[in-house]
Amino acid sequence: MLGKVFLDSAWFVRDDLRPLQRRLVVMLLALGLAFLAMLARLWVLQVVQGDRWRAAAENNRLRRIPLEAPRGTVTDTHGEIILDNRPTYQLLLFPEEMKDAARTESFLTRIEIADAGEVRARIARARKTSHLPSIIADNLRWSQVAAIAAHQAEFGELQVHPATRRSLPAGPAVAHLVGQLGEVSPEQLAVDPSLRSGQLVGRSGLERAFQDTLGGTPGALVVVVDALGRQISSLDEEPPILGHPLQVTIDLQLQREAAEAMAGQVGAVAAIDPRDGAVRVLLSLPAFDPDLFAGHLEPARWRELNDDPLKPLHNRALQALYPPGSTIKPLFAAGALADGLRTPAEGVSCSGAVTIYGHPYRCWLKGGHGGVALTSAIEQSCDSYFYRLAHDTGLERLASWATRFGLGQPTGIELAGESSGLVPSDAWSRRARGHPWYGGETISVGIGQGPILATPLQLAVAYAALVNGGFRVTPHLSATDFPAPQPLNLDPQVLATVRHGMELVVGGDRGTARRWSNLPARFAGKTGTSQVIRKVEGVKWYELPWEQRHHALFVGYAPPEAPTLVVAVVVEHGGDAAAVAAPVAARIIQRAFAPGFDTTAVKPNLPEGVDLLPTATAEEPDTPDTTAASATPSTPTGGAPR
Amino acid sequence: MRRLDLWMLLATVVIGACAVLAQSSTARALASPGFVNRQLIWLAVSAVLLVLFSFTDYRILVRLAPVLWGGSMLVLLTLFVVAPLRAGTHSWFVLGSYTIQPSEFARVATLLAVAALSAEHREGQLDLRRIGMLCAAVGLPALLVALQPDLGMALTYVPILLAALWLGGLPWKAWVGIVLVGLAAAGGAWSFYLKPYQKERVLTFLDSERDPYGAGYQQRQSQIAVGSGGVLGRGLRGGTQSQLRFLPAQSTDFIFAVWAEQTGFAGSALLVLTYVALLWRVFAVAFCARDRVGMVFAAGIGLVMAVQILVNIAMVMGVAPTTGITLPLLSYGGSSLLAGAIALGLVQSIWRLRFANV
Repeated sequence: MLGKVFLDSAWFVRDDLRPLQRRLVVMLLALGLAFLAMLARLWVLQVVQGDRWRAAAENNRLRRIPLEAPRGTVTDTHGEIILDNRPTYQLLLFPEEMKDAARTESFLTRIEIADAGEVRARIARARKTSHLPSIIADNLRWSQVAAIAAHQAEFGELQVHPATRRSLPAGPAVAHLVGQLGEVSPEQLAVDPSLRSGQLVGRSGLERAFQDTLGGTPGALVVVVDALGRQISSLDEEPPILGHPLQVTIDLQLQREAAEAMAGQVGAVAAIDPRDGAVRVLLSLPAFDPDLFAGHLEPARWRELNDDPLKPLHNRALQALYPPGSTIKPLFAAGALADGLRTPAEGVSCSGAVTIYGHPYRCWLKGGHGGVALTSAIEQSCDSYFYRLAHDTGLERLASWATRFGLGQPTGIELAGESSGLVPSDAWSRRARGHPWYGGETISVGIGQGPILATPLQLAVAYAALVNGGFRVTPHLSATDFPAPQPLNLDPQVLATVRHGMELVVGGDRGTARRWSNLPARFAGKTGTSQVIRKVEGVKWYELPWEQRHHALFVGYAPPEAPTLVVAVVVEHGGDAAAVAAPVAARIIQRAFAPGFDTTAVKPNLPEGVDLLPTATAEEPDTPDTTAASATPSTPTGGAPR
Repeated sequence: MRRLDLWMLLATVVIGACAVLAQSSTARALASPGFVNRQLIWLAVSAVLLVLFSFTDYRILVRLAPVLWGGSMLVLLTLFVVAPLRAGTHSWFVLGSYTIQPSEFARVATLLAVAALSAEHREGQLDLRRIGMLCAAVGLPALLVALQPDLGMALTYVPILLAALWLGGLPWKAWVGIVLVGLAAAGGAWSFYLKPYQKERVLTFLDSERDPYGAGYQQRQSQIAVGSGGVLGRGLRGGTQSQLRFLPAQSTDFIFAVWAEQTGFAGSALLVLTYVALLWRVFAVAFCARDRVGMVFAAGIGLVMAVQILVNIAMVMGVAPTTGITLPLLSYGGSSLLAGAIALGLVQSIWRLRFANV
């Protein structure tokens, strides 16, 4: 037909139109090519790339809303709730649907989601994963939920999403124990296929240690939305799988008692059942508000907390290292008896100082203790006795005894980030300090001073072995799954002698903690005051500024005859162990074994007007040696430790 | 009736049917069924106009061209005075609930004027004076439209001039000059005339990742719509891009995306081929026309439509910047339909009278 058209026209056309027809044909050829190119492009777009664009279209209209799995609840040994969930609202941003980022940003800033810079950073982060919604605000206030609902038509990319958030009825008292949550890291995602992007996982504490139990599996809700972000219908729901509940060995009553007794102090408490290692109390102070770390977003106060010189984010109970001071004496006493280097009857005369290597080592009691044997040396915390012991046995033996009781190695508790502590040796000295071990340092180590460092939890484990018949326990939080105690092969007679000494510390006429002997629930233990600076003659501890005071330690146990609780207390810069640390342990023990007793009657024994709180710390540099394993040993020329 | 070109009529009817289907789909998406009814009314009126103009003598209208052209200029001028600002331009007269876009009709008048100017000169006689008159006949209305401002519409006047100059036998040296002037004009427009949002569109087109949520948003959504149609489409009224309103301006500039999403490559190729058939017949009419007037008029309308189709679909596919050029016979708009029907009616008239010895 087309040919016919051209043939027909060829017959009737005027001659002067022929050039125009030729040009028309050229024009047609050009247009024909253009239309061919257009068809080819359509072919590519629709047939070749069709699936890709179809996927893009699906993404456009289908929103995949992550449904968080509520994490498992955690209860204490009596079934009381430590950790639960409460309903909250999150704000989701679907970045691909955002038309004007600047407007969204100013809106979010106006309703006080965060300051402008933080909001901008969160939006920028959300845009990197453009096909997934991002949580850009957590824990919304009612006023914010209302403001977003009122502006929903303008900001279709925003969606208020109901979710759950951790709730901790006990508050800061369990902050370190429970630990922090955070969004799963790319590294974790690569390792564990059961994790989902954006999921909350434990970063520390119980939340991390028992992530597998508590975590659950997130689900998703697939909904159809229009361009205004209005939900039209839901297509598919993959329900989240709830986390499992967990019962831990913690005794919340005792935990709270410890927190009250330590209120305002800096330090830690670790209490375990010496029979199997069940952890009853794990407290670190100062604490933080655990709700700050219960969500997806790093709290605004994180930097402030992180930069705080008192390091509130640090779990002192198992991370901070302290020289054990005199609390190490029962361990060395047991070692000396077991190795036959001392007998219980063997006596030493204390005249207030011992001269070794031509250097006077002073006992804390200026006038001396007179004649002391092993039990009375523990009772009165005689330094001279242990200076001589250290001198007679040497570093290797001291170190082997400390190691035997679990110092210098992690205890094996489920919680991550535990410190090993330090048990010194000549090799360590050469490696870490670049010089050989000095003999004089051994004498200091003999009273738990110098380069020997332990965590509060390690001290509790070591004392558990002293009082449970000689078994190394692994402290644990899980009520069901824990390693069995390991025998240390100590003679029961040896342990009985050392325990007798520790009973005298509280119960004896000259015991260092005898002022706590008339409480209803009897207990035993050992005081320890570890030195921060050299003692200055004639200056009382409470006359020193806070950060120069000694650390106050007390490790106690009860009941004395058949102990079921070991409590290790460290009060940083507490000054005096018997006056400040012992009453904390005493309160916890009264709460556990003397029901009905008013524990608030047990108060630190302080002179009038002395303030125990670390008030002036903000401007001060870090305290000298509390946590540094490589701290230079201080030769105790002044006999501070007891 | 038998003296009309039935193939061209058939192609027109098929495109009209596609328009009804596509418009009813967008009307559903936009929840305004009134749109379809209006489009149906416009289609009916257009059909009547098409037949009416088929049976007029195009040569009479060409003789009236100076009057029609002058009248159009007056109307375009009065627009600046009386037309309200709608969608940022003074392009429409408002009569009750109806709007009229005079630039569509002015384009037909311009075509007639250009055809008239091409009538008498012989081969090689396209002198400077004639070129100047052609440029003025097209340039003046184009300038008035551009000032409304409606740049897309103004651009659709350009093919008229190109067709007239090409068929008139402009020497190749002059084409070189036109290209240079065109480049200079584009540069000048970039510096002095284009609004920031228009520059943004061009930049976005050159770099599609430039701002995916701003100026690139429309094109990206349109591209998704076309591409997701696949081979057979997602069914009439089924596409999510149009139905969930991710697609912008879907009843006008982006109507082809609606069609492509719902009918796939099968449907969009069918529509393109129908356009090709229609254009083929229009150019066949130009080829067979009895005189220069008919030839230039038919070729002019053919080139205008071809450029509109090419630019609009290229824009919808994301290979040309968004210019606001509508798709003839498919985009919603009464004026565009009516003016198109008048133009096609006149082409039929040229066909009908190709042998007439009057």
